Amino acid sequence: MTPEMLSYIDRRKAIVQKFKEELIKRLNLPYTPADLHEDVSLLGAGLGLDSLDALEIVLCVESCFGVKIPDQNISILRSINTIVDFVIETQDAKGGTQ
Amino acid sequence: MRVSLLHEMLAHKGATCENRYGVEIVSKFTELSTEYHFVRDTIGLTDFSHMQRYSIPEATAVDFFDTLVAGAVIRTRFGRMLHTFIADESGTILADCFVANNDDEYILLCESIVDDVAMAEIMHKHGGAQEGLVDLSADTVLLSLDGFSAWKVVKELFGTDVLGLPYLSVENYTYENEKIRLFRTGKTSEFGYLLMAPKAIAIKLTEHILAEVEKHKGGLCGLTVHDTLRLEGRFFNIFAEGVRVGDPLVLGLQWMIDFDKSAFIGRQAIIDRREKGLTKKIIGIKSAAASDRCAVSDSVWDNEKEVASVVATCFSEVLDRCVGLAVFPADIAYSGLSFHLKSVSGPTLHTISMPPIMPKSLSLKLDEM
Repeated sequence: MTPEMLSYIDRRKAIVQKFKEELIKRLNLPYTPADLHEDVSLLGAGLGLDSLDALEIVLCVESCFGVKIPDQNISILRSINTIVDFVIETQDAKGGTQ
Repeated sequence: MRVSLLHEMLAHKGATCENRYGVEIVSKFTELSTEYHFVRDTIGLTDFSHMQRYSIPEATAVDFFDTLVAGAVIRTRFGRMLHTFIADESGTILADCFVANNDDEYILLCESIVDDVAMAEIMHKHGGAQEGLVDLSADTVLLSLDGFSAWKVVKELFGTDVLGLPYLSVENYTYENEKIRLFRTGKTSEFGYLLMAPKAIAIKLTEHILAEVEKHKGGLCGLTVHDTLRLEGRFFNIFAEGVRVGDPLVLGLQWMIDFDKSAFIGRQAIIDRREKGLTKKIIGIKSAAASDRCAVSDSVWDNEKEVASVVATCFSEVLDRCVGLAVFPADIAYSGLSFHLKSVSGPTLHTISMPPIMPKSLSLKLDEM
């Protein structure tokens, strides 16, 4: 592992952990953060969340990371990983972590 | 070996068959690419009769399932389905299941890596006969309609009501005076429906549906193409990563488990592993170049060290890359990293977020149907 990769892992790990903890708290999910695989489908299949939950996720991302998910962009909400990708890309575009 | 009620009909239409865990399945009809595009662009019709299927009266169903499957059947509302699994005592997955709360019965649909005899034994040991469990596997046919336009065929058959069915729901319909159970499901990322029909109308219904499918330029599919479709949508595939990994925690299937339940087969082993913490985890991978192919059991390298092993793979036409799943040490199992395949100097491989594709069906709105 290069130092860059290790640093990236630390950053991603922190975002994933923060998002999972907030998701569990807001949606009252019966899981621990370690139980939530980052690729699990959030809406429909997998966790089976509904449209109200989706709105809660959008608000959660905004309040945790200061990142606004565009309206109608359902592709971002497919899994924890796709949300984390969006957070990282947006933070990078803004010029760093927040 | 159990043979589908559609065996003769499908053989006549060019089916290539094989034995999968004691059940004859159709692996393919034509080129996989053709079958793939049936589903991604229009409609594919697949015989899913390999799935073991059971009915149990509502009165005894919850108690029966509660200690059999890992998920919370008790919280499955009327008309809805639960996606869960059956494990063995060591907490290894044996069957990927849907449990449907349907009217005065519950239906169990299983994709398993054990044959009918072994599954019957599990049900017997669990008191299935006393609870009124009926094995429907040999007396019904199970058809899978999948694709961007699959809803058009079920709408044609059963009316516009079907458009309002949410994912993981079940509804009864009538065809030629016989009961058809329609399950709104699917593991392709496109619209998906399973239709369970009795023997008396199996062939007539299949011919009717196929004629409708062909009107939309779709066609028959085998099960092999579903390996690719599932992987692209990151749906669990018991016949790929499921059988190769076995542990539901490493597979990331915690969402199928109700950890608060006091008993289900394999619970103690799973709880013990959960308490120890995960040391391995399955994540998505993608080749860096279109020409780089990976195969099951290929090793994944970081510098001088072999760190992971490929457990499922396919070539994704949408991405023009090989995609797959590999089991990594949990501390480096993150999307966005680069490794090498097969050796320290092998082709570059990236870990990716799943699902890797955006299906066409997600872009369709209800008012456009």
